[in-house]
Amino acid sequence: MITTIVKKECSLYFRNLNNMFLPLIFFFLIISIFPLVLGPEKILFDKIIPGVIWITSILTTLLTSNNFFKDDYNNGIIETYMTSESSVELILFLKIILCWIFTCFPIVIFIPLVSLLFDIPFQISLVILLTLIIGTPVLISIGIFGSALTLGLAKNNTLLPVIILPFYIPVLIFSASAIEAVSVGLPYGMQIYILLAFLFLVLPIMPYLLKYTLGISINN
Amino acid sequence: MNISKIANLKFFYIKTQKISFFLSIFTLVLFIIGIYWGLYIAPEDYLQGNSYRIMYVHVPAAWLSLQTYIIMAVTGFIALVWKIKIMEITSIQCAPIGAFFTIIALVTGMIWGKPTWGTYWVWDARLTSELILLFLYVGIIVLYSAFNDKRQAVKITSLLAIVGLINIPIIHYSVEWWNTLHQGPTVTKFDKPSAHITMLLPLLYMFIVFNIYFLTVIIKRVRLGIYMREKNNKWMEEYLND
Repeated sequence: MITTIVKKECSLYFRNLNNMFLPLIFFFLIISIFPLVLGPEKILFDKIIPGVIWITSILTTLLTSNNFFKDDYNNGIIETYMTSESSVELILFLKIILCWIFTCFPIVIFIPLVSLLFDIPFQISLVILLTLIIGTPVLISIGIFGSALTLGLAKNNTLLPVIILPFYIPVLIFSASAIEAVSVGLPYGMQIYILLAFLFLVLPIMPYLLKYTLGISINN
Repeated sequence: MNISKIANLKFFYIKTQKISFFLSIFTLVLFIIGIYWGLYIAPEDYLQGNSYRIMYVHVPAAWLSLQTYIIMAVTGFIALVWKIKIMEITSIQCAPIGAFFTIIALVTGMIWGKPTWGTYWVWDARLTSELILLFLYVGIIVLYSAFNDKRQAVKITSLLAIVGLINIPIIHYSVEWWNTLHQGPTVTKFDKPSAHITMLLPLLYMFIVFNIYFLTVIIKRVRLGIYMREKNNKWMEEYLND
């Protein structure tokens, strides 16, 4: 049962390659808009590029998690999950992980390229990579929670960011501060540990919360 | 008195009509006393002059903004677990009140900030977390109004409020930590050179008045919520025709 679901999800992502590449293209578009708007001075970019990368990843995760359950809901698959014998929490957990692998992981892979574009030193780009690897699963799962909340609504395109963005703030603060710390040569271990704490707090709880939310959303 | 009887919508609606009226007058009188006490009787501050007197509105509003969120989340939890109708109504009706307390706290804080800090707004920890609190309230109000089925909407917003309540300390402490990292304690350091008792007493009084005000408004709003939900029911028509 579980392997079937994983196979199904993977083949869905592979068949509709838009799902995989659209976030990546979106990410690059937004990133390359910043120099056009702010001017190409290097000193400015050394200061703001971590923030720019993080803001862009927020927008990308919002984009991908917006209609996360929509297709499954319209097809009636979620009801099937909820009534199935195998554990719903595990399925939801796998769905979160797969969503991260297929939408955020490509961005993480392309961070070295972004570092080349903006001439970011190796040490700093390594920390950016690390914060993205730890932080984006948290953002994705919070975004998916938001999409479960707004599942019963017909149009929810701008609603989700309004609801969800305040919950992103702690992750953003600690990621940005880790990058800032390494760029001025300070230790950044503490921020990384706190990000890890967020990750290990959110990931195990989220499937249970999602199951409960979906239960409410479906029963209307 | 039996708790299930108070929780009955019809019982609550009928019984609170007079109570709500008297509470409004009571609150108004208390407010006038409080304003007189705060603006005339309380002594002038040696550092900030008379401008500190806005504190008598600002500080209670800020406390109440957080307290209302807690009440909203707790009643939402009760509504989710025990499915008590009146708690559902109470929970969602807290949101606009809390948002208004937050706006009052922010606006009076900005007005207070101009003479004391020289600027309307600084990205200070408390101001920023108050602003984020406003965003949380706005999210809940917007989410509620997006639903057509209001019972469904209340369940969803209660869930969001509970998750938000867990998140508020995390957000608050990360913002505080972010703030200490970014700017030195230049602005808010002189905040509390322990105020004199003659200044603190009106503040405590105003806090109690704000609580009574909250009670008045929440009763009125719950009555409104009951009316909106039950307006097609027979007892409501009969009651209103009497």
